[in-house]
Amino acid sequence: MKLELGYLRVTDLRFGSPSAFCNGVLTIDAEAVRAMILENDKVADVQLDIAKPGESIRITPVKDVIQPRIKIEGPGGMFPGTISKVDTVGSGKTYVLEGMSVVTAGKIVGFQEGIIDMSGPGADYTPFSRLLNLVLVITPAEGLPQHEYEQAVRSAGLKTAVWIGELARNAVPDRSMIYETPGIREGMALYPDLPRVGYVMMLQSQGLLHDTYVYGVDAKRILPTVLYPTELMDGAIISGNCVSACDKNTTYHHLNNSVIEDLYAKHGKELNFVGVIITNENVYLADKQRSSDFTAKLCEYLGLDGAIISQEGFGNPDTDLIMNCRKIEAKGIKTVIITDEYAGQDGRSQSLADSDPAADACVTGGNANMVITLPPMDRVIGTLDYVTRIAGGNQNSLQPDGSIVAELQVITGATNETGFNRLSAR
Amino acid sequence: MKILIISNNPLILRTWDGKIPVRYIDGSAPEVLLAVRDLCHLGYRLLTHPLSGSIKPNETPYKSVLLAGTCCGTDTESILLTENAIDVVQRFGPIRRNWQERELKDFQLVDASLLAGAAESAIADLKEI
Repeated sequence: MKLELGYLRVTDLRFGSPSAFCNGVLTIDAEAVRAMILENDKVADVQLDIAKPGESIRITPVKDVIQPRIKIEGPGGMFPGTISKVDTVGSGKTYVLEGMSVVTAGKIVGFQEGIIDMSGPGADYTPFSRLLNLVLVITPAEGLPQHEYEQAVRSAGLKTAVWIGELARNAVPDRSMIYETPGIREGMALYPDLPRVGYVMMLQSQGLLHDTYVYGVDAKRILPTVLYPTELMDGAIISGNCVSACDKNTTYHHLNNSVIEDLYAKHGKELNFVGVIITNENVYLADKQRSSDFTAKLCEYLGLDGAIISQEGFGNPDTDLIMNCRKIEAKGIKTVIITDEYAGQDGRSQSLADSDPAADACVTGGNANMVITLPPMDRVIGTLDYVTRIAGGNQNSLQPDGSIVAELQVITGATNETGFNRLSAR
Repeated sequence: MKILIISNNPLILRTWDGKIPVRYIDGSAPEVLLAVRDLCHLGYRLLTHPLSGSIKPNETPYKSVLLAGTCCGTDTESILLTENAIDVVQRFGPIRRNWQERELKDFQLVDASLLAGAAESAIADLKEI
């Protein structure tokens, strides 16, 4: 499967009419976007705002971050099974609006998560401080059940990203990259002497606010399966995960998976990047057993020499991570696990909720319990009231001067477990 | 084989009592885990992981765990998983804020959602309540 990504650099983002993407400037008719979102009667109100790198702005509470893209050639459309109809994506040509994102935020379900600071020390911990962000602050209809609220917010963010992507249909990319994965037989013939490496990607799949969708299918319901890496680039996997800001994979992370990016960079040179095996992180122990058995079996079946395993979340996903690692290693396949840590505020506690001697090669995304102080910002998009209710904060997090003392886990993407950031731990 | 829910979540009691037996613990989430541990020593085995959910133990007051009754001795894996979970919860420490009623209801809902899928699977797998 071969996909060409054409990158269109967005250099500025502004409100105006008509909506257009021209010479790097993205102009958004806010009322048009608002009207589109409000077609869903589950949304009572939506406010649009823009946050740019370097501005003294805090966005909170963040639910998801999505990068606008548009399918130009090839089967299917963006976010198949969710926004576009079901079709196998990952081939042809797709344009990427690079340098900007759609951020969903707003009235939350009593407690929630996610801060993006566009400047100051907090900005260093999130990749989204470097983007031009269109923020959708969404108010649900009165009395809306929480699962319908989450679905409405998810839908609004994805639809807006697709709507924006459409503005770039006739643009000319600044640069292009081609990503190609040969079939099994062809790959073995092309790279007979290179080690066969796969990427085992664990998806959050525990329930309300803890979900991921694969071609529109709830990941709780899947058996581990194989994807071409480029399928993720066209939105085959989207996030319904709204808990644990620091290590949740936003839809942006799924579209721009850094393990996939780095494996492609080495593909055909140091290794044969065979493909992606996705698996889930269900609460039911029999599902964990089944999924880890299947994952190890698929690794063996694909003839892998090595596998990189990334997890998503904290606690019982650690058990899935270790089960996957142990069983894949037992097949004679070397593994490296990528995870973040909850090692206590002093960094001295055991980092994971589970462990095994087989997990002897580990890349860390950082310690989520590390305490940080975020200075006050001139403006808050969303609401600051919820900071004391955000994961990683506490009753005294919000200081009288507007600064926030909390654990790193409050920051969206801070300790991402696909290795998206540069943060590590000693 | 019988299944049992251990929980301090009133929503679980309202939702499942009458369908699956619920042993309600009028206490904290750590106390729920201690009850689970004790039952594991008495021959029950875990059907769900005690650390379900990514909401941290020092944030959500609620915990629900699904167990299966067994007549065949203790399940070591269940005991180890539960003891490990207790260690993790103790490491996080107590709840750090005073939640309002609305927030408590949301925590109850999320906890119940985490259990619901597993409970349906267990009913289908075990076919006896």
